[in-house]
Amino acid sequence: MTEKKTGLTRRHALAGAAGLGLAAPFVNRTALGQTPSGQIRVWTFMSAAGSSPREKVLKSIIDDFQAKHPGTTVVVESQPFQELETRYVAAIAQRRAPDLIWMRDTFLSLVVDRNALANLDEELTPEFRRDAIPDLFEAFARKSMFAGKRVSLPLWPSPAQIVFYRRDALREIGLTAPPLEWPKFIDAAASLTKGPRFGFGLPTSDNSVSAFLNIMTGFGPGIFDEATGRIDLTGAQALETAEVVRQLVSRKAVSNTLLNAMGDDIQDQFAAGRFAMAQAFAPRFQQFQQIAAGYDGKELAVSAWPSFGGRPPAVLLGPYWTVGLSPQSQNKATAVAFLEALYSRDASLRWARDAGLVPDRRSVLADPFFQRPEAAVSNEFQKLLAGQGAFTFPQRISDITRIFTTLNIALQKLIGTDAPSRTILTEAKATLGW
Amino acid sequence: MNAQTTRQRPAAGESDPAAAARRAGLALVVPALGVVVAVNVLPAFFGFYSSLRAIFFFGDDGFIGWRNYAELFADPATWAAIRRSMIFTFGSLGLAVPLATLAAMGIRKLGAWGRLLLTVLLVPWAMSPIVVALLWKWILLPSPGGLLASILAHFGIEPINLLSHPDFAMPTVIAVGVWRTFAFAAIILTAGLGQIPADLYRAASVDGLTAIERFRRITFPLLSPSLLIVLSVLTISYFNEVQIIIGLTAGGPIHSTTTLGYQLFEVGFVELNQGKGNAIAIVMFLINLFLIVGYVRLLGGGRK
Repeated sequence: MTEKKTGLTRRHALAGAAGLGLAAPFVNRTALGQTPSGQIRVWTFMSAAGSSPREKVLKSIIDDFQAKHPGTTVVVESQPFQELETRYVAAIAQRRAPDLIWMRDTFLSLVVDRNALANLDEELTPEFRRDAIPDLFEAFARKSMFAGKRVSLPLWPSPAQIVFYRRDALREIGLTAPPLEWPKFIDAAASLTKGPRFGFGLPTSDNSVSAFLNIMTGFGPGIFDEATGRIDLTGAQALETAEVVRQLVSRKAVSNTLLNAMGDDIQDQFAAGRFAMAQAFAPRFQQFQQIAAGYDGKELAVSAWPSFGGRPPAVLLGPYWTVGLSPQSQNKATAVAFLEALYSRDASLRWARDAGLVPDRRSVLADPFFQRPEAAVSNEFQKLLAGQGAFTFPQRISDITRIFTTLNIALQKLIGTDAPSRTILTEAKATLGW
Repeated sequence: MNAQTTRQRPAAGESDPAAAARRAGLALVVPALGVVVAVNVLPAFFGFYSSLRAIFFFGDDGFIGWRNYAELFADPATWAAIRRSMIFTFGSLGLAVPLATLAAMGIRKLGAWGRLLLTVLLVPWAMSPIVVALLWKWILLPSPGGLLASILAHFGIEPINLLSHPDFAMPTVIAVGVWRTFAFAAIILTAGLGQIPADLYRAASVDGLTAIERFRRITFPLLSPSLLIVLSVLTISYFNEVQIIIGLTAGGPIHSTTTLGYQLFEVGFVELNQGKGNAIAIVMFLINLFLIVGYVRLLGGGRK
């Protein structure tokens, strides 16, 4: 009797366990009662103890999350921004990856190819999938979909590399904003060169930024081959881009000796007053308003890139940040809860209000804050984002780890030598093996 | 009969002091040897193994034999990088060793003040190369805020963009590299000079030798063991230098400071072609080995 009863109990237990196992993926974690608890590790380029506007917002989101979920700890492990993806993939291989990873959208395909990102559609709560996902900017959100799986969530939809300019400098030549067609822009940039100040500052040596590519975006999204993500480096558009560079140099709008300036160098020198306009990273706008030393920070403004042939002004959306979840995370409940907290309407408003960024959630733009003068920066970015000339990098770009360096060497040669443009671009094409 | 043949074997149960000393020596060496094997030798073998494989962004696409090496040597950029590495290495040595020798001789003459001076000169060597690079980048900044630009402006001279000029970038990088390391060479040579008996110089003076003859016949030959150490250590240091180049010029402008070390950084850590990056590392190791063997034969071989 007893033996029989025990046997039945065992079978029931086994059947019950099997049933739960099968059902688990379809039941959200709230239903299973998996409330966030314990520690998660987050890799980002920021520090939770930093003092920049973005870092302060991150700290406030973490503090609020930990207060709302007692017993949780969010540990931010700051990494050099250009090494985030590499270190993360290495950490995945060594099974010591963080729970959440900040990375650049241009590296998504490489990281996905290493099976290093979890499918968020299986992890996010139904509420978040229903309310938040459709509220994100479509162009950015679409780039995170690989073979029908959502592998990350785009953060701070941003025009990325954009033109910063000083209103005071432009007033000197009777302009309120930079012209948005290249011939007129070159004229203006040349007029802005005065004494030690150059009209336009371009980074010429960087692993993740290419001024050449940004100038070329004036031809629209068609510069990228749909199948390969490559650009035609010896085509008419690339040659015309090279001609713009050469004119900027010959008209002394761009220094012919700044041949190995990184993006950060150009931005720092812009803050010191060396340029009237410069290529810069848009999400740092508010920071650069604060550190402006060579002019009044209130005079700082942003512009789209000029275009070619009457096309809409160009805004290349990226590289931007996107946040993914490790498939190896041992604390997915907490990691996903924190991920969702980063994209809450409240967090989106904070990124915009306190760090001058475009909110991740479009519905936040209806907040009264965006009618106030303090929202001018965020609204300016939003306008650029909504422009007809805005487009993202293709989802997969050939040789993404080599293209920026190669194009920057070509740019250095265009600026610093007399070699024919076609020869320089042919060399770049050969270097990439395209 | 020599000492060895007269030494008696220890009786049974009696410990052999020589064997005990050997065991003690071995016990002291083994941990260090273990660390060297774990940190240097095994990774070197793994590096060579990786150089024979197609590895990109931590994805191993399998064994490809010598293809990474073939591609490397077929690329003119590699030969140009080797040439620049040699220019950087021997240019730096050509500046650092004479400077360090002069400094060492001066320090010996200055006595206590010389030792104080040496301590001050050692500060750059104690600094991280990347910090040194950033420091010099600010000093050389050709715009308001740059120290050199401000000094030049005081004399009405336009700022010079030393790091951005293809002709000036390499000499500038060499100068900064030497500034960081020459005090280390000076300290070794100062110690080397201290080993030379003063009597030899007094005898030479009696014989009427000039200062140059004294240097050529006494100082240089007796300093050669120290010079061998300095040349070996600095050659490895300069040939492998990459942090100062990353910080100052990032290999530019237009590749003018892209040494083999920088190419390794670029290919292995930026392009993430880890198979090819390891091939460059192996080539660098072989060139280093070749140079060191050359020094040993040149300066160490004649010693009795």
